[in-house]
Amino acid sequence: MTAPIRLTIPDDPRYHGVARLVVGGLAARLELSYEHLEDLQLALASVLDNEGYTVGPEVNVELVVDEGSLDLRIGPLNGDALRTDLERESETEIGLGRLLRTVVETVELENRADGQWLRLEKRLKSVNTETTR
Amino acid sequence: MSVPSEQPKADRELLRRYHEAGDLEARERLIEQYLPLVRSLARRYSYRGEQLDDLVQVGCIGLIKAIDRFDIDRGVELTTYATPNIIGEIKRHFRDKGWSVRVPRGLQELNVRLSHVIEDLTVQLERSPTIPELAKAAGVEEEDVLEALESGQAYATLSLSAPSSGDDNSDLDPLESLGVLEHEYEVSEDRAVLAPGIKALDDRERKILHLRFFEGLTQSQIAQQVGISQMHVSRLIRRSLEKIRAEIATEHPVERRAS
Repeated sequence: MTAPIRLTIPDDPRYHGVARLVVGGLAARLELSYEHLEDLQLALASVLDNEGYTVGPEVNVELVVDEGSLDLRIGPLNGDALRTDLERESETEIGLGRLLRTVVETVELENRADGQWLRLEKRLKSVNTETTR
Repeated sequence: MSVPSEQPKADRELLRRYHEAGDLEARERLIEQYLPLVRSLARRYSYRGEQLDDLVQVGCIGLIKAIDRFDIDRGVELTTYATPNIIGEIKRHFRDKGWSVRVPRGLQELNVRLSHVIEDLTVQLERSPTIPELAKAAGVEEEDVLEALESGQAYATLSLSAPSSGDDNSDLDPLESLGVLEHEYEVSEDRAVLAPGIKALDDRERKILHLRFFEGLTQSQIAQQVGISQMHVSRLIRRSLEKIRAEIATEHPVERRAS
């Protein structure tokens, strides 16, 4: 497991791109496929870009790389709003739950001292090519 | 703007019904009534490369906020109160997204080029390429690739009708390329399956979301099936999700504010 990468940004859409770039930078280091990067960024955006989930005035993004997986944690968030949307699963709706579960393997809420955090686990498969760096 | 001049009284009655009795039908009628105002204001800003429909949706959020927050006892007309709200919402949209509209030309061009590189490498490697591979193939640094990809992250930033700056524009001429595809879809089934917020989408967007989130196809599989580039699929997915969110926001504004 690598040391966590922690980023604190203002809870403001203008700074969400910074978080996406950090995820992109990590994806480049890990040689993740473009497709996996897209999944992670979509997951990140679906949480950060919804003003009902963030509580401001800042939001943290934490990334931990473990063997074969990447944990993306976002918080503190409005746990009630998230829980409602995650649980409101329907066969006809592309809600937060369906969206996140399509792009990552684990979606769970965690209690922390500063509030609720969302943990998203993405199983990784480095393409392991002969790319030399 | 076509709200008749004798309207204020009727508006106040509708506003009262909504605010005091929670009459959602009254709210609906107000929204419909003021849509021409939203359209007219949105039109002022549509030259900036954003699709008018997108701006109307954004403006509608401003309108709905105005209706929801309107104080009946303050003695102003709804038009007076709603106009700055609608403009404010449109401006906020530009402020939030505007940075990517002003993406340096070099990055835009790299973004267009990367779209082709991704396709080529996906075919060549038989899998989705990595950032280092993209950087190598495009002859640029990894950071440039990331920045260029970020600049193209739609989130409704790259208008689907915006002219592309590449040499071969087939990838970034979505309206044209999608037009060819429409006939291939059996969309009626999907329309029945997908419900809330989905009505804001066109058939192609519905189809792509259905493939991604209900059938579990990856972006590249969708790209292959639909016959457009993966980057284009990515943009359509983001754009469609954005539309759904805007639609749901207009349907349930109170819930959103409360959350």
